[in-house]
Amino acid sequence: MQSNNGYYGEFGGSYIPEILYSSQQQILHAFEEAKNDPAFIAELKDTWQNYSGRPTPLTFCKNLTDHFGGAQIYLKREDLNQSGAHKMNNVIGQALLVKRMGKKRVIAETGAGQHGVATALIAARLGLECTIYMGAKDVKRQYPNVFWMKQLGATVVPVAEGAQTLRDALDEALRDWSSSHEDSHYLIGTTCGCAPFPEMVAFFQSVIGEEVKEQSMAQFGQYPDRLYACVGGGSNACGLFLPFLEEKNVEMVGVEAGGKGLELGQHSIRLSNGLGQKGIAQGFATMFLQDDNGQLQETHSIAAGLDYVGVSPIIAHLAQEGRIQMTYAMDDEVVAACALLLKKEGIIPALESSHALAGAFKDAANLPKESRIVINLSGRGDKDIFNVAKAMNDATFPEFLEDYLADYNTDNQGEA
Amino acid sequence: MSQLAQYIAEKRQQKPILSMTHVVYGYPTVKDSLDWMATLLEAGADFIEVQFPFSDPVADGPTIVAACHGALHDQQLSVEQCLKDIGQLGRDFPQARIALMSYLNPMYRYGLEKLVKRCAEENILGLILPDLPYEQAADLRAYCDANGIDPVWLVTPVTPKDRLAFLASEARGFLYCVARSGVTGNSNHNGGPQQSLDEYLAEINEHSNAPIGVGFGIREKAHVDALKGKADVAIIGSALLDAYNKGGKEEGLKLFNSLFN
Repeated sequence: MQSNNGYYGEFGGSYIPEILYSSQQQILHAFEEAKNDPAFIAELKDTWQNYSGRPTPLTFCKNLTDHFGGAQIYLKREDLNQSGAHKMNNVIGQALLVKRMGKKRVIAETGAGQHGVATALIAARLGLECTIYMGAKDVKRQYPNVFWMKQLGATVVPVAEGAQTLRDALDEALRDWSSSHEDSHYLIGTTCGCAPFPEMVAFFQSVIGEEVKEQSMAQFGQYPDRLYACVGGGSNACGLFLPFLEEKNVEMVGVEAGGKGLELGQHSIRLSNGLGQKGIAQGFATMFLQDDNGQLQETHSIAAGLDYVGVSPIIAHLAQEGRIQMTYAMDDEVVAACALLLKKEGIIPALESSHALAGAFKDAANLPKESRIVINLSGRGDKDIFNVAKAMNDATFPEFLEDYLADYNTDNQGEA
Repeated sequence: MSQLAQYIAEKRQQKPILSMTHVVYGYPTVKDSLDWMATLLEAGADFIEVQFPFSDPVADGPTIVAACHGALHDQQLSVEQCLKDIGQLGRDFPQARIALMSYLNPMYRYGLEKLVKRCAEENILGLILPDLPYEQAADLRAYCDANGIDPVWLVTPVTPKDRLAFLASEARGFLYCVARSGVTGNSNHNGGPQQSLDEYLAEINEHSNAPIGVGFGIREKAHVDALKGKADVAIIGSALLDAYNKGGKEEGLKLFNSLFN
């Protein structure tokens, strides 16, 4: 979606410290040139295909469809990307841009760790130095991803400031960039931040919706009736939705994290129920969860990747315009949706993506049998094994962990 | 002429360089922070730069970030109360001036037009918002013009030459020159190669009609002395806060006196 000088309605813009002005302008120009350069686009497509495995399938879910007895349910399988999530689409694009700008180092923020791993992967492949900022709380929740980032050669910096989640990681990445901008690129993982990041990330993610257009025509001869995506920062939602923006018959539903309840601090709902308010922070204007004094507030979601205080200015604008309907799913509904997909279709979804599932499952039975919905399965759930086991009260898991730990310590002592 | 620029010009008749000391409002408590400001003013500080804390201060380094988070941890801070408090401080110390620094969001939520009006009422003549670039500040500039308040623009060693010339020419009360790349305080991050501070300040002086303040990384007397004849105001923030954290007002005052007296 083309911005109006960095704005989407009243959201977006570029509110950054003066020190970042030149680097921001450099990205703005480099991106404008690159997206109009056939050689860049060809390299992008080649890397998407041969490194990340695109196009990802559009999978019809017969069992789920029969289960609900309403709309025909399809999944867009972003979980099958290299790295296991849609994050790869964007990091490939930006990393190729980094090479084009001649920079040697990338900085990234990460919540669940999916963007961090994706960035570390592409950095390893393209020979870029890589520093990942991650909230200390998220480091604990998602250590397996941290482990892989480190093995990939990235430096992972736990951020112990504030609430120690994604928002604090983003602040810290901006601070790093303020002093390292001459040789480093801030590889933002979502459609947030100062212009042109929302537009650029949406551009790279739009491959999702573009493929769905082709695949839906090939599989059932028309576009889907409704699209569902979870909304954290908003990149997978932008990716699926934006190519359909002009198709007025295609309805779009964004699903935010309802967390444990609607009190401030218990959820990450910024765009429904009047819970978020307009603000300007972290480089851009959008709807933030904040108090009356303009202080950004803590958020919660069972899915670290949705645990964010702001939201894409593109999604905020389209929600305000009524083009996207916003809803939310609570933690327990999300775990139930995850469990249902496992049992019915043999697919392990990320908890982030399970929000989109939960949102769609609520509607599916009430939609006409001939209607078709596409849910963006933005990531796979292997990374969530610990959190899902806990949420499902799996009795054997603690035992496994204790045994594993005992073995781990014994083996390591043996080697020492 | 800007009231702030006039104040600086008059004071500079007697002093080779003026001091601007930075204090986080509400840290560790509102009362403590106001006491500390008063102490600095008694010791002869020419300006207090009062930072109204924000939860996400992206242009600040660890020392000031920790103070902002500390200030917000167990108390609600209101912009209105802050303006009243520092307005009173200004009346108690009429020989000095107060500038308000914060990030955009708390000010935006309070209302930018109301903010500027209230600043004028409280004689807070300068407004520093590091995440509000000139281009995005059309509204704020109009309110400031109408009320005799100066928005303070920042320039940095990596600001492109034409932009630097433009921002310098737009400066009114004073121009805030960031001495180096990075965030406030001692930075772990290494900046790239930069022109010398002298060349940078010479270039700014060429374009600026307003007084020049220099901040970021000033910790020793030598840093302050090096600015004499090239700048009007030395801005001291993180170093002062480090000293205050180490030994309270006494240690902070020792640093202030060693730099300016």
